Amino acid sequence: MQEILDFARGPLFRLTLALMILGLARVLILDIWGAISAYRRAGDKKLVWGDAVIKTIQWLFPVKRVFTRRPIYSLFSILFHVGLILVPIFFLGHVQLWKNSIGLSWWNLPEFWADLLTLTTIAFGLALILGRLGSSSARYLSRKQDYIWIPLLIIPFITGYACANMLLSPSWYRILMLSHVLSAEVIFIFIPFTKIAHCVLMPLSQFILALAWKFPARVDDKICTTLKKKGAPV
Amino acid sequence: MGATHITEQEREKALTSVKKSEVIEKQKLNVRYHVENYDATDRPRRFLEAFAAILKHTNYRFALDHFIRVSAKCSRCTAQCPVYLATGDNRDIPCYRSELLLSVYRRHFTVGGAFRGRLFDNGELTDKMIQEMAESFWNCTACRRCTLECPVGIDHALITHLGRFILSEIGIAPRALVVSTREQLEGKTGNTSAIPVPALLDTLEFLEEDMKEEKGVDIKFPMDVENSEYLFVPAVSDFLMEAETLMGIAAVFKATGGSWTISTGYYDAINYGLFYSDRMMERIIRKLYAESERMKTKAILIGECGHASRSAKYYVPVHCGGDKARPVFNIMEYTHRMLKEGKLKLKPDCITDTVTYHDPCNIARQGWIVDQPREIIRAFCKNFVEMTPRKRENICCGGGGGTVSIDEIRSYRTTVGGRAKADQIRATGAKYLIAPCANCKKQLRELVEDQGIDCEVVGLHDLIYKAIIFDKDESKQTMQVERKG
Repeated sequence: MQEILDFARGPLFRLTLALMILGLARVLILDIWGAISAYRRAGDKKLVWGDAVIKTIQWLFPVKRVFTRRPIYSLFSILFHVGLILVPIFFLGHVQLWKNSIGLSWWNLPEFWADLLTLTTIAFGLALILGRLGSSSARYLSRKQDYIWIPLLIIPFITGYACANMLLSPSWYRILMLSHVLSAEVIFIFIPFTKIAHCVLMPLSQFILALAWKFPARVDDKICTTLKKKGAPV
Repeated sequence: MGATHITEQEREKALTSVKKSEVIEKQKLNVRYHVENYDATDRPRRFLEAFAAILKHTNYRFALDHFIRVSAKCSRCTAQCPVYLATGDNRDIPCYRSELLLSVYRRHFTVGGAFRGRLFDNGELTDKMIQEMAESFWNCTACRRCTLECPVGIDHALITHLGRFILSEIGIAPRALVVSTREQLEGKTGNTSAIPVPALLDTLEFLEEDMKEEKGVDIKFPMDVENSEYLFVPAVSDFLMEAETLMGIAAVFKATGGSWTISTGYYDAINYGLFYSDRMMERIIRKLYAESERMKTKAILIGECGHASRSAKYYVPVHCGGDKARPVFNIMEYTHRMLKEGKLKLKPDCITDTVTYHDPCNIARQGWIVDQPREIIRAFCKNFVEMTPRKRENICCGGGGGTVSIDEIRSYRTTVGGRAKADQIRATGAKYLIAPCANCKKQLRELVEDQGIDCEVVGLHDLIYKAIIFDKDESKQTMQVERKG
């Protein structure tokens, strides 16, 4: 058991982490490359960068948005994201793990805050699932992955909290720790291929939006030729 | 904005078209607007071919790629969509509408999607899906409010815009728009309302006489004056329906000594291409620009019209030389500048009735023209009340995206599309509703009529005309005329 756990925490962790980073780098590069090509083809290259920057910041730190529309949902969603981002990176145990696996270490969250954020992430995650199940419009839109993701994301939080705060027998500890590590690794693998890719792509959205309306010059002729519509009436 | 949906009776009324079209029955296409008589065979293949051709030559691909990667299906856009708020129908959720096209893109134009589709044998484009898109994309008023609210930044309006473009390539587009555009590009009169030049000249001459009578000042519509500063192009329907707006604009130019001209070569800023086809939009833009080159004007000035201003402002640079292209302005920008520079004088508190202002989506959503008209209004209106929400977050009149031109769906527009707007107008209790846009004006007039709101829909320059002060000599004349009157 201990060997499996060591393997999961060691080589397997590094492998899945590398896969995630490569996968995210891939979509990020594809996105940026697409945007650059689009910019090159655009007939009008004047972009209002400032507007896109402001909107991006507003959405990355959506404080202003909270109380305007759907306040409860927004607040839950924001608090869920806060724990989801901070705990995996800044919890003391994780900082040590990062140090062991990639050789870098940084500031860590005080234990109290790490515990609190873990609990809020679990609680707001559950609330968001209920919210999705309870809203007819959200249910109508949801795909399979929309139902799977939040439960999957809170598994490592639940198991991690148990391992850190409960008095467990060594075998239970190993089982929970193993499920903690493995569930996190499953998440790593799937992030780049699913909607969670928005964790790196979202900051590009507003720029892509602004650019998407910049069409290439004079495509009428080309499309007509391709579709064999040259000379056809309007 | 209240989230009360329309009643069952209202829904029934909204969804039946005013006229039943034979064309529609012949084509077995269950849509509430006319479509051109077209070839309905083999639609999925033709749809995909058109989609592929468009992706090849345009910039949509990178945006679609981004959207399918980040779409989180959070349903937050439901809080912003006036159509969804009115119908409460899940098929009207902006994100659902976008998914109709995104799923086709994913299945047929991405490797992963094609692989999954073949593996599980599903998701292939069917006639039924085209049917649903034809219906859905034209239920949207293209107001772009949903885009404001999407946390991951999906532009549902862009997707709807593209969806309509693809559909138009296989012949599915509202007849009203196609016929008007055909007249504009290939017809004898060269404009969407089919107004011949002699009729135009007659109208303007008549208006000049009117202004002489009312203001005692010789106000002219300068025709075909080369090398003017501005080529003035309004939505052509203004010549028929918005005489007062045109008179207000002419008066502003007279008072400020501006150099402008209307060209008999081309006098229609309407660009329905923005609503259904990028190809048509490009042709119309090029026609407009060619006219400004022929008249050797320094800039193009668009009248009170939202979509015409947006299409010219943003697509003249795209198709006619980027930075080097002649600049495009909206008339309100000119009037505002003149007011700021002190060249335009308006009687303070001239209008004492309550006035409110409707932001046309196409000029307000991007924050282009929001404060200018308000400053102008405050300069001469005593009781200006604002609607909420407004400016960038304004609510659509309900006839956006070209739907206002489709008379068959008037009941849909005034029950579903314009419901939220009607509530807003009622809340202000205004006597005058200023809507500086030809499309908004038509829709809002129908809306206040159908919803029984006591309010007059006017253009901004209609009211400016009442408040304008000409400089000394001329105003003396004006005073004399007033006294005589």
